[in-house]
Amino acid sequence: MSVSRRGFFELLARGTGAIVAVGAAWKAGATRMFSEVLPARSIAPTDQKWVMVIDLAKCDGCRDCTKACSAMHFVPPMQEWIKVFEVSDNNVAGSYFLPRPCMQCDNPPCVRGCPVGATYKRSDGIVMQDDDRCIGCRNCIAQCPYSARSFNWGEPPHTEAELARPYSVDYNYPHRKGTVEKCIFCPEHLREGKLPACASTCKMGAIYFGDEVEDAVTNGKGETVQFSKIAKRGAAFRLMEELGTNPRVYFLPPSSRKYPSPEEKHATAAASAPMTMEHSK
Amino acid sequence: MNPREQNLLRSVTVTTWRFYAWVGFLCTVLAFGAGAYIYQMRAGLIVTGMRDQVSWGLYITDFVFFIGISHAGTLISAILRVTDTGWRRPITRLAEAITVFALCIGGPMVIIDMGRPDRMLNLFRFGRIQSPIVWDVIGVSTYLTGCILYFYLPLIPDLAILASNSQVSGWRRKLYAKLSLGWTGTEQQKHILERAISIMAIFIIPLAVSVHTVVSWIFAMTLRPGWDSSIFGPYFVIGAIYSGAAGVILSMYVLRRIYHLEDYIEPIHFRNLGLLLLSFALMYLYFNVNEYLTAGYKLAGGERVLLERLFTGDFAPIFWTAQFLTVIAPLLLMIAVLGIPRYRSYVIPGVVFSSGMVVIGAWLKRYIIVVPTLRSPYLPSGQRLPWEWSHYRPTWVEWTITAAAFAAFMLIYTLLSKVFPVISFWETREGEPVPVEVAEVRTPGWWRPGAVVAPLILLFVLLHATPLKAATPPAPKKPAVTTLAVEWKPATENQVRDADAEEAEGPGRVYLYSGNLFNFLSGGAADREADLTVAPIAIKAKLLDAAGNPISFQPVEFSIKTLLGTLSYGTRPTLGTGEVSIVLRDRRRGIYPLHVEYKGDDTHAASQSVINVNFGERPKPALPKIAVLITPYATPQIELPFVAFYGTMWVAFLYTFGYLVLVKMRRAGVAPALHPEPAPLGGTMTVTQPPRAPSGTAT
Repeated sequence: MSVSRRGFFELLARGTGAIVAVGAAWKAGATRMFSEVLPARSIAPTDQKWVMVIDLAKCDGCRDCTKACSAMHFVPPMQEWIKVFEVSDNNVAGSYFLPRPCMQCDNPPCVRGCPVGATYKRSDGIVMQDDDRCIGCRNCIAQCPYSARSFNWGEPPHTEAELARPYSVDYNYPHRKGTVEKCIFCPEHLREGKLPACASTCKMGAIYFGDEVEDAVTNGKGETVQFSKIAKRGAAFRLMEELGTNPRVYFLPPSSRKYPSPEEKHATAAASAPMTMEHSK
Repeated sequence: MNPREQNLLRSVTVTTWRFYAWVGFLCTVLAFGAGAYIYQMRAGLIVTGMRDQVSWGLYITDFVFFIGISHAGTLISAILRVTDTGWRRPITRLAEAITVFALCIGGPMVIIDMGRPDRMLNLFRFGRIQSPIVWDVIGVSTYLTGCILYFYLPLIPDLAILASNSQVSGWRRKLYAKLSLGWTGTEQQKHILERAISIMAIFIIPLAVSVHTVVSWIFAMTLRPGWDSSIFGPYFVIGAIYSGAAGVILSMYVLRRIYHLEDYIEPIHFRNLGLLLLSFALMYLYFNVNEYLTAGYKLAGGERVLLERLFTGDFAPIFWTAQFLTVIAPLLLMIAVLGIPRYRSYVIPGVVFSSGMVVIGAWLKRYIIVVPTLRSPYLPSGQRLPWEWSHYRPTWVEWTITAAAFAAFMLIYTLLSKVFPVISFWETREGEPVPVEVAEVRTPGWWRPGAVVAPLILLFVLLHATPLKAATPPAPKKPAVTTLAVEWKPATENQVRDADAEEAEGPGRVYLYSGNLFNFLSGGAADREADLTVAPIAIKAKLLDAAGNPISFQPVEFSIKTLLGTLSYGTRPTLGTGEVSIVLRDRRRGIYPLHVEYKGDDTHAASQSVINVNFGERPKPALPKIAVLITPYATPQIELPFVAFYGTMWVAFLYTFGYLVLVKMRRAGVAPALHPEPAPLGGTMTVTQPPRAPSGTAT
């Protein structure tokens, strides 16, 4: 073998160059020819920018949203895609109910961290979850500051209705062992022009949902309001704004409540189990 | 061979019943671990103590621990080689071995932790360079390759020595001869091999630093209290070298006891490595103070909860045990045996005992890094869930697999210490330290073909210039005209001012947390104000009766049909001219049907009208500009540094092994052997090349 050092490096460079060039040409050609193949996932079927506004002053903690969501998506036990927390900001302030869906962040940490693109941002603002691709590394769970993601630790219990349909990212079932799941704003309902399950079920009309580009949000009672107006007039806030995640879920402060506060509710329904934040203990 | 080499040779040739018993014991533990893993594969990770809140546990602890242990081996051996330290010779081999074996155990721990190990190839099919997990895959695999080469290269002369030794059985001599790649021990070969080892040693140091930094970034790239720390990279690197150095000392002690290598591994080695360990301990102390003081001084929200748990809460026993074992106790003990003359005779037990404490403490410390932070999220999801769903207690499955990981590590070490001598023959033979030429790697004209840089640039341009497919805007509907005539136009300044003074923005508003971000990672400035601009639209309706006369002081309702409902703008009275006007200052884009309705009264019939109002073009479907690193395509700002750094490593490996060793060293192996005792080569040295004049080579 008559290989000199220069010859070796030239061979190496040529080989690398050839591999890179062929790879680049292949990828470029593929993305040009099948322009919808790669980015199609990221392009929503419609051009809305979904946004949710939760009026905390109207939430009475009945958890109908959680139940409706779980029923619709056959959410496995111990998971709650929209979870109603009872929180207090400090030791003096009274508590309030805080429904927490997935925040569908505009700067989603889970999407950044996913090694395989199983969770991805869609152009309509939804952070989708593809359980055909998820490898179960749970980096997204570590990344999410809202604890909005859950993992199928074991084989989830199945029902006939759940298994009747093939898996789709639009509704995220049948559930699979070893994959991560979360709230996805019910894309299946949105496509039909219906509200997500939680918003349409909320009897208090606390959950408004709509298109930010349309500047209108609608709640389960059929009330449609101007999004920018209630966000402005109500001084809407987003959860953990300081983390820079830019959620698409806005909250109206829990002031002037017209229903019993969580404490009063507990006092009347002494039978219900006490619910307290772990931190406040 | 002199007596001490005969003794060393016995470690390879002679096996005792103790060896078989030990291997049998390790295999038993390993079998239990395999059983536990099969059980876990069947039932899912539900059999572990991990749940949604604490979603990483012992497996990730083991992963970080073994990657950490792997560091010192190579790093110490590489640093000692580069600095040409004479006493390194007997211990480099066993340090390098630890590195390779620990990596072989540490890497698979992540696979064991995965929910869907069957989909592991997705990492290569869909891998996203933006994810720290992929950084780890790249880093650890590069590092493992480098470490195997770095372990193998210094082994080559020893393999030739063993292949020519009559005490070694026949098939093993054949294997050794194959593996020794035509080593005959000529001066030129020696020179080339030392050069290759030097190049590897130089490249392995930044590689080792990068790998543990990247491991720490899995944690530091999150928004979690306790992980969201800028010193995590160096903190992990120091912690890794520290635990690895302790691992080297422990294995030195064990091998010395078992194989009676007192002639090779002398107290000077324990003393010198002890000094190294002591200095790492001091650095580790410094990093610990830095890490916990900066958080503990401020006690900001989430950090306070975490630190309370660590210092006084449920994790306090483990936390303080780890601190005692990694910092306080080894520091005091080593200062005593290394610094105080009357205790100097205890240097070996003192340093070894310290190392044992450091290794155990390092494992506990990894646990303290992983679990308490996950236990203290911003939004604890434990409400209305059973205790074990918010707390973490490892189950027997996790303990068994962890035990099996340690058993596998020791098993590989045990078996390979029987196959390869744990101490280098040829390096220790060079009694006097020979200055190793630190090779200066020159790459003459490697860029000349131009075939690397240009396609790389082309690749990135092509990959990132692919536009998102534009969706077509909804087709406008035909307006229906009735007696209610409606028209719209962009509002004038006056109308805007009159419309709603309350909505006007104050000049000096402060946005908490959200400023204009020049986002170099996602490419382009995300302008917050631009998204909020409002183009007011004036709507004018005229209510006329059948004769065309205006109807005044009648309520007319305006509303817009939206996708999910009807947005009402309320009712306005018509003026004397029958006209009614309204200014819409919505942040709306697109074309929407505006309904104007007159409900009618006793004298007038109801009427309504619909007009399509164009509020401006809907934005093209796009991912949010403000987002960082979420594009479905590779981000060049991340990709290029990775390709450059790890690509350099791979080029160095290819050059060192592919060219220097496989080509050049074999070619140089035709001169007569230089072994002190000329031994028959067993007729297996077939891989020799005819001598060639080095023409055109730059050596």
